[in-house]
Amino acid sequence: MKLLTHNLLSSHVPGLRPGGGFPLRIEAAEVRERPVPFNAAFVSRLVPRLRWDALREAAESLGRPSELPPEPTPGYEADEEFLRRLHHVLLEVEVLEGSLQCPDSGRRFPISRGVPNLLLTEDEA
Amino acid sequence: MAGAEAAGDAGLGSAAAQEGAELAAVIGATVPTGFEQTAAQEVQEKLGSASRISRDRGKIYFEVPARSLPQVHRLRSVDNLFVVVQEFKDYQFKDNKEDALKDLEDLVKKLPWTDPLKVWELNNSLKKKKTKRKKHSLQSPASRGKLSDGGEEGGADQNSTSDQEDCAQNPVSVEPTDGQDTENPQGVTSRNGVEEEEDNEQSDVKAGVQASSESGTKAGEGEAKVLRFRVTCNRAGDKHSFTSNEAARDFGGAVQEHFQWKADMTNFDVEVLLNIHNNEVVVGIALTEESLHRRNITHFGPTTLRSTLAYGMLRLCDPQPTDIIVDPMCGTGAIPIEGAAEWPYCYHIAGDNSPQAVKRAANNISSLLRKNESKDSSTALGVPLDVIQWDICNLPLRTGSVDIVVTDMPFGKRMGSKKKNWDLYPACLMEMGRICTPGTGRAVLLTQDKKCFAKALSRVGHIWRRAQTVWVNVGGLHAAVYLLRRTWERADETRSFW
Repeated sequence: MKLLTHNLLSSHVPGLRPGGGFPLRIEAAEVRERPVPFNAAFVSRLVPRLRWDALREAAESLGRPSELPPEPTPGYEADEEFLRRLHHVLLEVEVLEGSLQCPDSGRRFPISRGVPNLLLTEDEA
Repeated sequence: MAGAEAAGDAGLGSAAAQEGAELAAVIGATVPTGFEQTAAQEVQEKLGSASRISRDRGKIYFEVPARSLPQVHRLRSVDNLFVVVQEFKDYQFKDNKEDALKDLEDLVKKLPWTDPLKVWELNNSLKKKKTKRKKHSLQSPASRGKLSDGGEEGGADQNSTSDQEDCAQNPVSVEPTDGQDTENPQGVTSRNGVEEEEDNEQSDVKAGVQASSESGTKAGEGEAKVLRFRVTCNRAGDKHSFTSNEAARDFGGAVQEHFQWKADMTNFDVEVLLNIHNNEVVVGIALTEESLHRRNITHFGPTTLRSTLAYGMLRLCDPQPTDIIVDPMCGTGAIPIEGAAEWPYCYHIAGDNSPQAVKRAANNISSLLRKNESKDSSTALGVPLDVIQWDICNLPLRTGSVDIVVTDMPFGKRMGSKKKNWDLYPACLMEMGRICTPGTGRAVLLTQDKKCFAKALSRVGHIWRRAQTVWVNVGGLHAAVYLLRRTWERADETRSFW
């Protein structure tokens, strides 16, 4: 699971407060880094769609706190160094084993071989 | 120039290939029915050529310099390719069977074979770089040229000339048959395919014996060897007095006479195509041996979608760089994998509720990565694609976070049931609407259950508008691909989301 995906995921356990399912807390047992071809325009256009704080939190939980600034600074579109670091965090770091925890309910969802399992049980749904 | 095609020169060498590169080739391509336009767009984009779409569905024609063949082979919307020898827009068939067939036989020596054969030769030199050809063990004979001992002819005849369509050859399926959706628009094919296979055994042996009694090395390997060929005839229309088998047989006989090639159904060098659609006749030479459409998938599931169809569906929604594209019922991942390969500047998410599907999708992605690995000596590059196990009716995705939803919705027949679709479809459309960006978002959905889909769509008119419908054929079933646009209305705030 890449961190860009994580940024889009939200727990859907029933009965949560509005917004209570995001962001899922990552508990990583195994992480892998794998290069992905860099495209500045691609990364730059993603910035407005990201939940920045959640992304920083996620990077931090994987031991990469210093990669990202507290906020994207104005003019980031032209800042290649920033874009490369962002690219790395979003696409090149993958959680292979671990779990995702719903912030409100505490429910844990396993990640196995890079694939998170977010199915609810019949009782939960 | 009949002399040039006589046996002695039949092993065309590299000189012919060089000449071939200079030619303008008219290429015919078979594409998933319904996606002729998208295929034409891809051809325009990648080759700069305009295409003609024939009335014989599922085929487009375009002209390119023969040296562009490598790019032609890389087209993603195309199943099979052939070089056109000649097209007849309005061929007049005689009413009487014998006369009609005699006309076809006589046609052979009048056709302009030389240039197309050069293109074929050039194409061969490209193929040599790939892995050696596999034997087509599952095929039944299209025809046989007249074997010198008079051979078997009657056994595999089509039963009725009043059939709307028939095809004298099974669609090729080299991979294990766990219910693949090979295109089968002609209803009679599979039945006849079974009959034909039994006859095939005997005639195969005969052809095999004949072939091995010659010096059996392949043509084009230095010395002049006799080429082996077969004829495949596709016939559609209700006014013909003959069957595709008869046409293939007689046409093949004339081809053999003319070129002095040897007929061989399984181990052929040249596959001559005779396509008859009412009064439209196209003679061609095949440039592909097996359908390209299984390119991406190594781990099949019960309903794996053709890559060419997946590609067509993706093109329909016009992905823009940075679009986030989700397939929430991905099965073995055909669509997201095609997406990641062709649109690497989008982000692709594949999801399914079935653990087997998710596992197969992940395996298919690994296979894809391994293919990349061999080209690049260092670590395999990752792809912008993730797989998740989830429930389509309750997607764990932020509201409005996704640009495009593309998926193959469960058909009543192979997966799920029509009754389940009745409940599933509206719930799916609601969830897909929720995760999709209002205004700019869109969905491309393939389904066979058109009635159920139409009903479900009418209930979510405040979220989705129908923009376009493409009628397609999937494994012999009439299905539809719907392009939907997300309205500007924001999703209902009845659940906990952003």
